[in-house]
Amino acid sequence: MREEQKKTIKERYEQSLQKGERFWPDSIFKDVLMALAIFVLLLMLATFVGVPVEPKADPSDSSYVPRPEWYFLFLFKFLALYGQIPLLGKVEWLATVLIPVIYLGALTLLPFIDRSPNRYYGKRVFAIGIMAIMVTSMVSLTFISDVPTTSTDAVYLPGLLQTLGGLVVPLAGYFLLALMNFAFKKAPAKAMIWTTAVTVLLMIGLTAGTVALAPILETVEVEVADTLEEQIVAGQDLYSVHCVECHGDDGSVTVIEGVEGLEGTQVMAINGRDVLYTLNDDSMAEVIAYGRPDAGMNPFGRAYNPEGLTKSEIDYIVIFMRYAWDDRYEMPPMEPLFPALAEGEAPSYEVHIAPIVKRYCVSCHRAGKDNLNYLMTTYEEVLTSGDHADQNIIAGDPQSFLLLTIQEQTIPDPETGEEMIGVMPPKKALSADIVDVFLRWIMNGMPETAGEAGALSTMPAATATP
Amino acid sequence: MWKKLYAWLDERLGLNDLYKATLDRPEPKGNWWNTLGSASLFLFLLQGATGIFLAVYYTPSPDHAYDSIQYIMTGVQFGWLIRGIHHWGASLMVMVVFIHMLRVFITASYKYPRELTWLVGIGLLLATLGMGFTGYLLPWNQKSFWATTVGTQIAGSVPFIGEFILKALRGGTDLSALTLQRFFAAHIWMLPAVLAGLVGVHLFLIIKHGESQFPARED
Repeated sequence: MREEQKKTIKERYEQSLQKGERFWPDSIFKDVLMALAIFVLLLMLATFVGVPVEPKADPSDSSYVPRPEWYFLFLFKFLALYGQIPLLGKVEWLATVLIPVIYLGALTLLPFIDRSPNRYYGKRVFAIGIMAIMVTSMVSLTFISDVPTTSTDAVYLPGLLQTLGGLVVPLAGYFLLALMNFAFKKAPAKAMIWTTAVTVLLMIGLTAGTVALAPILETVEVEVADTLEEQIVAGQDLYSVHCVECHGDDGSVTVIEGVEGLEGTQVMAINGRDVLYTLNDDSMAEVIAYGRPDAGMNPFGRAYNPEGLTKSEIDYIVIFMRYAWDDRYEMPPMEPLFPALAEGEAPSYEVHIAPIVKRYCVSCHRAGKDNLNYLMTTYEEVLTSGDHADQNIIAGDPQSFLLLTIQEQTIPDPETGEEMIGVMPPKKALSADIVDVFLRWIMNGMPETAGEAGALSTMPAATATP
Repeated sequence: MWKKLYAWLDERLGLNDLYKATLDRPEPKGNWWNTLGSASLFLFLLQGATGIFLAVYYTPSPDHAYDSIQYIMTGVQFGWLIRGIHHWGASLMVMVVFIHMLRVFITASYKYPRELTWLVGIGLLLATLGMGFTGYLLPWNQKSFWATTVGTQIAGSVPFIGEFILKALRGGTDLSALTLQRFFAAHIWMLPAVLAGLVGVHLFLIIKHGESQFPARED
């Protein structure tokens, strides 16, 4: 840059200072207002949106779909798209290293690449145009980052659209701008502005199209137990489903009965000091995750079984075992499994039956177990599944199989007279209040929600006591 | 009395000169776009302050990181607020720094005599992204664990030295306690030191050359 150019720049700046303001208090005032606005925004976000809850890291769970933090999503998507270019295929380091380094290098050395002293927007259409396309493509890649790049469908429109919007159109835009700027030195600024505008609009349109046509992804809701009470309940529920069959509901079983493949295996009672005092939490979690093949303990962790337990879930089970059986731990006051019923009150599935079923029945009454196909994991399944679906639960009928079996009656086969369904649960009878809940539920026609149950209740209206 | 005290301090600290050099400066006419730089600085200080509070309870080990954060969220008075501000502040800081960079680009403020300010600014942008990347692993939840696995894998695809970079980042071939430990060190010591130093140079350069004016037709 020539000396006189530097001089004009300095003179111009002096002039603008003459017409300008003072840093203190003019600019500072705006800065402080901005900082205040940001602080208030953060307070609101922290209070009303909060931090999303996530389960604990589980290195063995390779089924987890990894996603980076949102401001790296565009890069993530760029890598995925770049790998799809025909002919070139997946030359990984081109996309992960070379192109980012070129972009970043150009950005860093910008003052030394763009050496013209011009600062006015109209004289920098090329630079601003390139930047506009680049920023648009970062934003649009962020938006489409969740849309799968490829699919098994023969014609996968979102895939085509995102390749167009994410790669082809922006590349064409860069190329045209460069052509106009370097090849035709006299290209009018208007042509470049139009090229930029059309490219950006096309990209926005294609992105919107991709998002609109994208297959809807299933979102998996993860429940994370925050407080100790929630963790103990979560642990007990998981224990009731996965462990009860072999270890019994109080962990005292020493010889496994009635479990296919493990019949007669001798196990340690897991509710005593032998286990609880000699294993720390980590070792217990490891035994659950990896199993003890010599002692008949199956592995329950994700590493062995894609449907297995997560790290957090195993931790909950360990916490439950500690607080339930370890005499060094004191159980905090817990909410009852279901709210006690008042005289004449009808129980509902969601409030009363679901937690009971989860605790006492689902362990066997789920897919893959020997249960005459009677599954009990949802309201519909409880009412309609099983080989004896028409007799298991009959509204208003005390002879429903379910009610008979939980009251220690077996169901004989109508033809041979042999036992067809045994008592339920097989090993330990339900307590009287739970039987009462089932009885009232079926007699009232199996209401699903608390609202439906309330409508059926025949509770005496509250009367003033004299 | 106050005057005397001020005079005494001024004699020793040069408060008047300091005031003239940093605060009582003429500036070109600005608008709200000019507040983004100071907003970035404010966010940096806010992240520093909330981060220091979080460091009181946080434990950088795979066994306790997750639980210590759960304790901050449920057991510590206003812990949820401090963590919430730190969490959202990180996203906002990346956004504000980036928009600040765009503003400087569009008004061509990186040109003579402010080339060095731009260079330092790019350093600040990268350090901010680095803070985001390292801080993301610290809660040690599923999301952060796998995001870091993929992130370090990408760094590992560099030809020839990729293997070395991957091992240097992870402290071994796999993501482990060592990775958490060094991400923690980078997040609370190395990168903040770099950021603070660069912020100092950036501010010095801004005061030296003054804020740039919005370009007029003749510029």
